[in-house]
Amino acid sequence: MFNWQKLGRIFDPVEFKNTGWMSEFAQAPSSLIFDDFVRVYFSCRPRPDKNGQYTSRSAYVDLDRRNLLKILKVSSEPVLELGELGTFDEFGTYPMSVLREGDDIHAYYGGWTRCESVPFNVAIGYAVSKDGGETFKRIGKGPILSYSPDEPLILSGPKIRKFGNTWRLWYIAGRKWKIVDGKPEPIYKIRMASSMDGISWTKLNKDIISDRLGKDEAQASPDVTFSRGRYHMFFCYRQPSDFRRNKDRSYRIGYAFSEDLLNWTRDDSKVGIDVSDEGWDSEMVAYPHVLELDGTVYLLYLGNQVGRYGFGAARLHGVLE
Amino acid sequence: MTWVKLGKIFDPTEHKLSNDCREFAQSPQALVFDDFVRIYFSTRRKDPVNGKFLSHISFVDMDKTFRNILKVSAHTVIELGKLGCFDEHGIFPMNVVRHGDKIYAYTCGWNRKVSVSVDTGIGFAFSTDDGLTFKKLGEGPILTSSLHEPFLVGDPFVKRFEDRFHMWYIYGTHWKQYSAKAPPDRIYKVGHAVSEDGISWQRNGRQIIGDKFPDECQALPTVVRFEGKYHMYFCYRQSSDFRSNMDRSYRIGYAHSVDSVNWVRDDSAVGIDVTKGGWDSDMLCYPHVFECDGKIYLLYNGNEFGRYGFGLAQLKAT
Repeated sequence: MFNWQKLGRIFDPVEFKNTGWMSEFAQAPSSLIFDDFVRVYFSCRPRPDKNGQYTSRSAYVDLDRRNLLKILKVSSEPVLELGELGTFDEFGTYPMSVLREGDDIHAYYGGWTRCESVPFNVAIGYAVSKDGGETFKRIGKGPILSYSPDEPLILSGPKIRKFGNTWRLWYIAGRKWKIVDGKPEPIYKIRMASSMDGISWTKLNKDIISDRLGKDEAQASPDVTFSRGRYHMFFCYRQPSDFRRNKDRSYRIGYAFSEDLLNWTRDDSKVGIDVSDEGWDSEMVAYPHVLELDGTVYLLYLGNQVGRYGFGAARLHGVLE
Repeated sequence: MTWVKLGKIFDPTEHKLSNDCREFAQSPQALVFDDFVRIYFSTRRKDPVNGKFLSHISFVDMDKTFRNILKVSAHTVIELGKLGCFDEHGIFPMNVVRHGDKIYAYTCGWNRKVSVSVDTGIGFAFSTDDGLTFKKLGEGPILTSSLHEPFLVGDPFVKRFEDRFHMWYIYGTHWKQYSAKAPPDRIYKVGHAVSEDGISWQRNGRQIIGDKFPDECQALPTVVRFEGKYHMYFCYRQSSDFRSNMDRSYRIGYAHSVDSVNWVRDDSAVGIDVTKGGWDSDMLCYPHVFECDGKIYLLYNGNEFGRYGFGLAQLKAT
């Protein structure tokens, strides 16, 4: 079992009291390492509108590279505009995952639109930063990864990584909307796509992580890293219903490993991190992101109410193997 | 070129249709058999949830004089999509292509949105019973929104030329709010993609038919090859005030090409226009060109976007 030492919550947007667009939530942390600091992108929300609907924005917090608990700066504006009328990302950009390549920083994000029969749909967008990650611009108005015969809805939760010359995108694809207590709830599974240029993608078209909670388990946030000859994936999973209030059915972090990126062995017993008895992550742990910094492995993750009150970190004792 | 109008050949209100549909026979598309022609069309029923329309595919079999109806489908030809899928709220239109002993179908699936009325995507289905029923490849689309074609990918027309599948289709470029009171209006253009297998497509990635005026909507391309050239018919209209203002509503346009890639638009050569006092006095839309026993025909809709059926014209030999 991995030995994670929890460092506590790092950033709480509610406590931070920024302007209206960042009133709650700091979801799906994704890191970018600079000389003196680590920039962690996350998605936040203004208060819901009169219909109770949220719009997610993406922002960052800069942490001291020598002490991740020390906040140096928080972005004063969202890093990416919302999409224009009728586009896939008109109502939110969440989550966002970043990768540096030369002077450019590439961002992949879930773009949210609102539908009539179901509350929303999501497709994966792409934007580039030419100013060191302060702001990102789209290269087109549409998504870079969208629906296909085997992935009919909700393409979200992108995690971008590059191994060798190949870009890899892990993401989730919706299988169906399940009616729970009269309301549609999405069921989604972890998937992968590959690319040589980061723009043109080939889907694997396969669920790559086996279910633990039955066929309607929802899986999210698949983050992959390579260590000691193996690929390691941390992700989160939950029950399909009653997961918002019932802590026993809400998100936990899972683990899987692979030699070839195609065949994965799920082994949640190795994950070594769970909810705390009390505190900010007492009800759920969710949306893991692996950060390798100066010889140490950290796990950034969300706590209660899927990051409504921010994200925290844990430090690995030992190595991923 | 001149099209000789043969008149309206099918009125949906004179028949009992499947899926409780009552009006509309839109975007007719032909599948030619030895002794009859099956014409698929989109018809509508009201969604019991909110009174909005749901488009369903039906067909009518006609003899080759196109004056006698042999059969009107009374069953479900293809199911609409499941909750939250791209074709949940309608299929309109459906284009069919024979391939081996199967019939391939390319559907334009509709799903309703909140800030704008709708999005569409192109689905694939096939029939192994001569086109009576179609089974979908999957629950999602084969062609949908992408970086430079951000929404409203639809109106597929597929044909094989020189061992390759070609698809002409439309994609949205923007939604425009013409007045604070009116819902946003959409603007779309004709695109082109090619495929080896008819399922996995490579997009050309550009608008292939030039605009006649700013914010023109171009729809339902259909292509035929004769006399060494490709001929495309499509319909076009203004993007606002097009429903009841006949001067701004759909007309049929025309373009020609020697290589199927580069097109010259020449609406003056289309050879068909509205007829005063007739069923097609206000608009002409949703053209579909097909060949049958050495003749070239044009199926199309008239007033009210085909609420009361479709008609036929025949190309006069030159």
